[in-house]
Amino acid sequence: AAAGGAERPQVVSHVQQALSYTVFDCKWVPRSARLLCLGSAARGTGLVQLYELHGARLELLREIEKPKPIKCGTFGATSLQQRYLATGDFDGNLNIWNLEAPEIPVYSVKGHKEIINSIDGVGGLGIGEGAPEIVTGSRDGTVKVWDPRQNDTPVANMEPVQGESKRDCWTVAFGNAYNQEERVVCAGYDNGDIKLFDLKNMSLRWETNIKNGVCSVEFDRKDINMNKLVATSLEGKFHVFDMRTQHPTKGFASVSEKAQKSTIWQVRHLPQNRDIFMTSGGSGSLHLWKYEYPAQRSKKDSEGSEMGVAGSVSLLQNVTLSTQPISSLDWSPDKKGLCVCGAFDQTVRVLIVTKLNKI
Amino acid sequence: MPVWLREHSWRQTLTAVHLSLPLRGARATPASIFCSEQYLKVSIPPFLFEAVLYAPIDDTNSTAKIGNGNIFFTLYKKEPAMWDSLTLKNVDKEKLQYLRENAILKAQEKAKEEMEAKKITKQEHKKYALEATMKLEEAERKRIEDLKEKERQKVTEELELWKNQHTDGDKYKSIQKKRELHQEIEPLKERKNEKLNKIQIPNEGTSKTRLKSTKGCSCSIFSQNLKEEQLPAPRAAATIKVNFTPRVFPTALRESRVAEEEEWLHKQAEARRIINSDLSELEDLKEEEKNPDWLKDKGNKMFAMGDYLGAVNAYNLAVRLNNKLPLLYLNRAACHLKLRNLHKAIEDSSKALELLTPPVPDNENARVKAHVRRGTAFCQLELYTEGLQDYEAALKIDPRNKNIEKDAEKIRHLIQGTMQSS
Repeated sequence: AAAGGAERPQVVSHVQQALSYTVFDCKWVPRSARLLCLGSAARGTGLVQLYELHGARLELLREIEKPKPIKCGTFGATSLQQRYLATGDFDGNLNIWNLEAPEIPVYSVKGHKEIINSIDGVGGLGIGEGAPEIVTGSRDGTVKVWDPRQNDTPVANMEPVQGESKRDCWTVAFGNAYNQEERVVCAGYDNGDIKLFDLKNMSLRWETNIKNGVCSVEFDRKDINMNKLVATSLEGKFHVFDMRTQHPTKGFASVSEKAQKSTIWQVRHLPQNRDIFMTSGGSGSLHLWKYEYPAQRSKKDSEGSEMGVAGSVSLLQNVTLSTQPISSLDWSPDKKGLCVCGAFDQTVRVLIVTKLNKI
Repeated sequence: MPVWLREHSWRQTLTAVHLSLPLRGARATPASIFCSEQYLKVSIPPFLFEAVLYAPIDDTNSTAKIGNGNIFFTLYKKEPAMWDSLTLKNVDKEKLQYLRENAILKAQEKAKEEMEAKKITKQEHKKYALEATMKLEEAERKRIEDLKEKERQKVTEELELWKNQHTDGDKYKSIQKKRELHQEIEPLKERKNEKLNKIQIPNEGTSKTRLKSTKGCSCSIFSQNLKEEQLPAPRAAATIKVNFTPRVFPTALRESRVAEEEEWLHKQAEARRIINSDLSELEDLKEEEKNPDWLKDKGNKMFAMGDYLGAVNAYNLAVRLNNKLPLLYLNRAACHLKLRNLHKAIEDSSKALELLTPPVPDNENARVKAHVRRGTAFCQLELYTEGLQDYEAALKIDPRNKNIEKDAEKIRHLIQGTMQSS
């Protein structure tokens, strides 16, 4: 499959770096050839390592140790000049760090009672408009939106009704941030629930259940009128929702694909082409997909209300890099095709996907 | 009795013998001719011709031509000499017999040897073919590898190029920006001057990479203020209340296990509802004593205090009321173990396991306990192999339990010990 078809994108493994700790998240530092690895050291402390790509190897520039293991991080809510890193750790603390002076966080709050599983940021990096905001989803069942200019209290809190048993929130993502007021947060839970919260109206806009725990959700672009949402789940399935047309009862149209036998841990859209995305699996494999739009994106149903039409997904390439799950994946926003992935075999790999221009 | 063919005619040269044998109408096939070094036989039932030759011939090269109701033999002599006659005269019966047998044996050996030789050549051919295919595949693989490698190198070069021009661009951009801002915001500079100095001084001796971003940092003082005026204020805090799709189990939802989970829940619900009791016997019991759960709790308390017989009684009564609750059997098995009623312990653990189907994560703990208790009972009865089976089943469900592992090891040693000594 790898060699067939000279025009298919190839996934080339550029650098492999063995780490001495478990890496949970890896992120490119915007506007640079540097990347961050976030994780948990064997003695139960958190580690942030900053690497720079030099030729065929990664050079460690800085290592920062924190008292609690770090689960996730994002640069999404920071400006291009500051490039502060927002992290969520195993204790439920949200911290924003200036990597030049990492001893004291720029912002810190004990946002959740349990581990913060997922974090996303919007409004920074020169992408989109509106206030910079960070959303965190935690095992305590709540999803909270924070503004770095407001200490201690979240600007939005999505929590279970009093007395309801909670479900773990496994993933969060921002979307629809095309002007200063509009914003939505999508959250995926371990019982298969996907909920879409509208922050302008402070209401639940849509929810559905995909029958398998939701591991990762992502909009194809955060800063446009919401176009597509990909949700991946346990047991190798992922769903692509067409978010342009919401039907009053049926919600959003979707197409689903069962690709890998194991959990699909992450989905990440290519920053330079919103119809291409990569999924990473529990069997250590990466799949590169392309979404094709249908001839007509919406049609009228029997009662005359608009409903969306989902397109189709085709597999461009797949490659197996590891025997352990690849739990984190990030495309470089600066160089098309450059991506980094971190796996549970304590290795971080820099990959280059070729021929993406020809698609 | 075969009919002997005796009308043969022959001629000879120094090296060969030509023998012509008329067949009297019989059909000859190559199979009817048998020839060895010194013995020649033609057998077409009922006709028979045999000859013990005067001297040995080279039977591999000799030929026989069948046609025109005749077989024409061309026999090449081993030693060039003129023969007195075609056959040996005065051959007695024994010698004849011996010669016949020998000939047959020799022929068999030859056949075997030929087969061997054929096999060997076949193998060699196969090996050669295999090597050739391997070479071809290897070449193909190498070609693909080379393509990939070329691709990789190309991409690496591009990356390096991008990185270099990028870092230069970055530096240039940040310097430019600083210059611009300095020009634009002269009045602000006065106020910010102090701040700027404070930040710049510690940066004097920093490394190249840090300098890059701190340059950006000192710019940000200016740009940040500008941008802040454009950003909207933080949102008004609000809460959205959420309902979750109900789920009985604390574990995450998986489609593949839904059917099993449903079955388990259904079974539990059924079990709760059963009241299989004979009311007349139980009339003199208090209300609470008719509740299997209350009885189970009572049994647990008695077990904790060491009153094993009392606990067994409580569980017995509970089972009579509701014989579908697996935990009753499980706990009763533990009591029997303590009382050394090993057979009863095994029975109860087995019954518990039966009721704990289908296996779901929810009843994992119970199943592990059932296996361990049954295993212990087996071992105490010295049925070590059965005991080991149960311990291994328990380990399969819960691989991380050190105690079970240790005990399983001990049993294995015991089994090996008894096997060696017996």
